Amino acid sequence: MNKESRLKASINQKLTETGERDRLKELLRAKLTECGWKDQMKAQCKEVIKEKGLEHVTVEDLVVEITPKGRALVPDSVKRDLLLRIRAFLTQHAS
Amino acid sequence: MKMEEKPLSGPDNTRLEALVQDIYSELVEDACLGLCFEVHRAVKQGYFFLDETDQDSIKEFEIVDQPGVDIFGQVFNQWKNKECECPNCKRLIAASRFAPHLEKCLGMGRNSSRIANRRLASNNNISKSESDQEDNDDLNDNDWSYGAEKKSKKRRSDKNQNSPRRSKSLKHKNGELGTSISSDPYKPYNYNTGVSYESLGPNEVRLLLTTQCGVISEHTKKMCTRSHRCPQHTDDQRRAIRLYLLGPSALTLPDADVGGDCFDVPTDGQALLSRMQWEDSPDISPSDSASSKASTNHSDSRRPKKKKKSALSMNSGGGGVNLTGVGSSSFQSNISLSTKKKKPKTAAPLVPSIYDQLN
Repeated sequence: MNKESRLKASINQKLTETGERDRLKELLRAKLTECGWKDQMKAQCKEVIKEKGLEHVTVEDLVVEITPKGRALVPDSVKRDLLLRIRAFLTQHAS
Repeated sequence: MKMEEKPLSGPDNTRLEALVQDIYSELVEDACLGLCFEVHRAVKQGYFFLDETDQDSIKEFEIVDQPGVDIFGQVFNQWKNKECECPNCKRLIAASRFAPHLEKCLGMGRNSSRIANRRLASNNNISKSESDQEDNDDLNDNDWSYGAEKKSKKRRSDKNQNSPRRSKSLKHKNGELGTSISSDPYKPYNYNTGVSYESLGPNEVRLLLTTQCGVISEHTKKMCTRSHRCPQHTDDQRRAIRLYLLGPSALTLPDADVGGDCFDVPTDGQALLSRMQWEDSPDISPSDSASSKASTNHSDSRRPKKKKKSALSMNSGGGGVNLTGVGSSSFQSNISLSTKKKKPKTAAPLVPSIYDQLN
């Protein structure tokens, strides 16, 4: 386990160092906006906010409510594309 | 490091796949977190619900998607046939023609100054060629025909569109003009307008003179269209012109009660284009008749035949004191040149005697 976590840390470091993480993040954001995921999420946010009350809503509330939905709502094509890129990065840098 | 990377490089796909999934979910959560921050900030700043409206207004501003109607549900060409009332002449003009109409009606706008200049120029040409007629005939010929072409073109356009000013007198004139032009479009300018005026029936002339001042301007060669009280001309001038056109029988000057409404017009050259070629002066002097004679000489040189006729009719006209009778007969005969020639000649000798009677 120790080994695995260390491996993970090294991979993360490489992702950040090469700038691949930022690139992937930007790509994901663009794709999600493009496919309407963002609008869907905003609608979800509205419901949450109305439920909690405009004044009392916190970031934690939002994150707890929104993140599972957000993960579920990501379109398959976007997900596949992203996984492909990550895998390519790993095979390239893990050797 | 090398030791740790070794197991990864091996075909341990499940571990690799787990790693990939981890990174992916991290990225997605990151995106969600970013969104949450964004939304939270918007809520606290108070602009998150700005684009929301209540149901009523949503219904009210719903986009309409029907044929023949724009997105607001209005008929989109409802303004097409709108008519506007011209503040100047009180007629209804189609909205699309309103601006061009105003330009002409008020004499303001883009083209009007150009038109006015052209008009001035042509008028100058006319008066000049009248004065030095005998000197250079050829040159004058060009001028005349040029003027005639211009005039006929203008008039045609005038008829097609809404001609700006259509007073009573003008209506007569347009009608007469139409016939005279179509019958003989290439007559010289001077000749042409003379005809059109003279070919008004005596009754029409009388009607015109009972409602308007009618004095013929020296510069524009047009009849004054103001009321009988117009300050520009004297009663003597008016009397003279009535004497001239109607004969002594119509000498009473109908006055006063017509007064108040002045037409503000006499500058409207195109409409009231020089009707006659003699000058206005209190009483028509021999020199005037001479000049009109000179002006007709020109057309005579083109049409020697008509000269005889004119001479004949002049004789017949000269005999009678009642000019209107003679006038009407010659009007109907429609021999424009003859009437034109006769008028000045017969009128000139008549005037002094009339004045004697008056005095």
